[in-house]
Amino acid sequence: MLTRTATGADELGPLLRARLAGFAGFLRANGFGAGGADALGLLEASRHMGILDPQVLRLSLKALLCGRGDEWRRFDGLFDAYFLPPNKRIFADAGAGAAATRDEAGGAPGGARPQTAPATGSAVAGDLAGSARHGASREESLASADFRELNQAQHAYEMEKLMRRFAKRLKRLRLRREAAYHHGRRLDLQSTIRHSVRCGGTPIRLAWKERRRVRPRLVLLVDVSRSMSQYSFFYMRLARALCAQLQDVYCFIFHTRVTDVGAALGDPDPWRAQQRLHLLAIGWAGGTRIGECLRDFNRDHGFRLLHSRTGVIVVSDGYDTGEPALLAQSLAALRRRSRRLVWLNPLLHQPGYAPESRGMLAAMPHIDLLAPGGDLASIEYALPRILESLR
Amino acid sequence: MSTAAQRMPEIVDLQRRLEAVGYVAESSLAAALLLMVKLDRPLLVEGDAGVGKTEIAKSLAAVRGARLIRLQCYEGLDVHAAMYEWNYQRQLLAIKLLEHDERPTAVKEQDIFSERYLLKRPLLEAISCAEPPVLLIDEVDRADEAFEAYLLELLSDFQISIPELGTVRAVTKPLVVITSNGTRELSDALRRRCLYQYIDYPSFEKELAIVEIRAPQAGAQLARQVVDFVQSVRRMDLQKRPGIAETLDWTAALLRMGISAVDDAAAERILETLSALIKTRDDRAGFTREVVARIAAAC
Repeated sequence: MLTRTATGADELGPLLRARLAGFAGFLRANGFGAGGADALGLLEASRHMGILDPQVLRLSLKALLCGRGDEWRRFDGLFDAYFLPPNKRIFADAGAGAAATRDEAGGAPGGARPQTAPATGSAVAGDLAGSARHGASREESLASADFRELNQAQHAYEMEKLMRRFAKRLKRLRLRREAAYHHGRRLDLQSTIRHSVRCGGTPIRLAWKERRRVRPRLVLLVDVSRSMSQYSFFYMRLARALCAQLQDVYCFIFHTRVTDVGAALGDPDPWRAQQRLHLLAIGWAGGTRIGECLRDFNRDHGFRLLHSRTGVIVVSDGYDTGEPALLAQSLAALRRRSRRLVWLNPLLHQPGYAPESRGMLAAMPHIDLLAPGGDLASIEYALPRILESLR
Repeated sequence: MSTAAQRMPEIVDLQRRLEAVGYVAESSLAAALLLMVKLDRPLLVEGDAGVGKTEIAKSLAAVRGARLIRLQCYEGLDVHAAMYEWNYQRQLLAIKLLEHDERPTAVKEQDIFSERYLLKRPLLEAISCAEPPVLLIDEVDRADEAFEAYLLELLSDFQISIPELGTVRAVTKPLVVITSNGTRELSDALRRRCLYQYIDYPSFEKELAIVEIRAPQAGAQLARQVVDFVQSVRRMDLQKRPGIAETLDWTAALLRMGISAVDDAAAERILETLSALIKTRDDRAGFTREVVARIAAAC
């Protein structure tokens, strides 16, 4: 096998060549030392090693285009960002060792923290036990792991996977209302009879209808103040996974003012997305003025984003340094304009925590659903509830 | 594209063959070694000391049944020590002998500067082998920039020009493995010429596999404990973290001392063998009996 004969000239198509060669430029744009000449080497390497096996292509290009330790570490993320659709990543080393560590990593939080049902907050009654959970034990343990424990990359990826599957379920959401649809399954009798008039009453042209699909709109307002710092990173990941799957998701962060992060999260390149978030999050982990932020949101974005099918999700622990009256007022306005207002509180599932902070007390009357948001299971529980209420 | 479909098995096969000669390679390394042959490019390997960089070249030579030619770089390494040198003593002797020769001077001179009087140093040796050898240029970061530039020329053309003799072209192109410890930043030009491979400290599974292959007499349980211990040591804040070479040395030391299990009870005797694992005085001072007992108990 280690012969020096060139493998047959598998000619690559021009489009494919351009795509492959563009990767060198992409790496360069991301601060790699790879240059224009590397595009040629890249094509040659892909011709020798074949491009059908993504794993082989990844390993070959990694050896070819990296020049330093830091490039070596960043390569996999960039490879995924360029060649795979956003959020569909695979791990580089499929060796047995890596698989074993992955299992270990997946199992660890479950072992450390026995499977606990999310503690029920005041507004969430006992039906929480029946919330959507997945069968596989690894997922389950991960689903109930507190976000603070999810600090390894693998965990974060697992989380994105869960979000992805969840988002797929959301896409299938249909209204009970029906509308004319060419390839529909049900006969639209009214239309058919209307059409039959011109044929003297014989229904020759049939009209069909199908249940109307709507994309529910989600607006995420994530508190990134200091008290939330342990969670905000994971909510960003979650928001990113959601944004990649659903079109009608809008994401804002707030601390002392409110900032739109939708464009930054939607960046297909994870590294650049991180950089952009970093720039946007000046003041990240500072104080909180929830009331003012929500008022600003209502004023600047509310009119264009909120409508009767919008679910608004506020993620915050309710520790507010602003005026509680303003918070109540802004929330009421938000509530009036949207369909459903959900408050995810990451602290809620901690034993001994009661939502008694001033901010929380002011907010309570206007919230449709207060759910614990400290782990994936509770989020999986909350999201379908919101969407169902949008029908 | 049947060739492409077979590539992954090829990588696995190379991994297996490397393992047979005692080297546990990750798939990325195996892929790079394959690509290195296909593209005729040198392989630049970086990583901390003792993670098995040099061993790559040795194993590659063993797998291919090729000769290993090694050039150890050091500060002040010059062209003469790396490429070629004239054998001055023999040349002087020859001049003396040729004094009474009747031939014209030009012929005599040609004779004195012929290949007979040429001492081949590693780089010249590597390009004049009949069979392609594996050329290991070890710790290239220790040599200076001037040498690096010279090396670059060699690696792009595979020819060496000797003023008195002419240009020596490579008979066969050697497989070049370059290692670097990162004591000096290498030039971008050199990095660009090479395929790149970064070798990290091994995972538990990989290290265990290495210990089992290299020190089979240790037995499964001791091997597991040894690796567990070393992995914990590596997580500590040390000046010099132990590499795989140290793990193997330490395993040998434990066996030599007749220690069959790494545990609380053997802490005292483990302490005596730690010189194989911990290589600086400051690091050694941190390893008291209690520390060792605590780590060992966790194994």
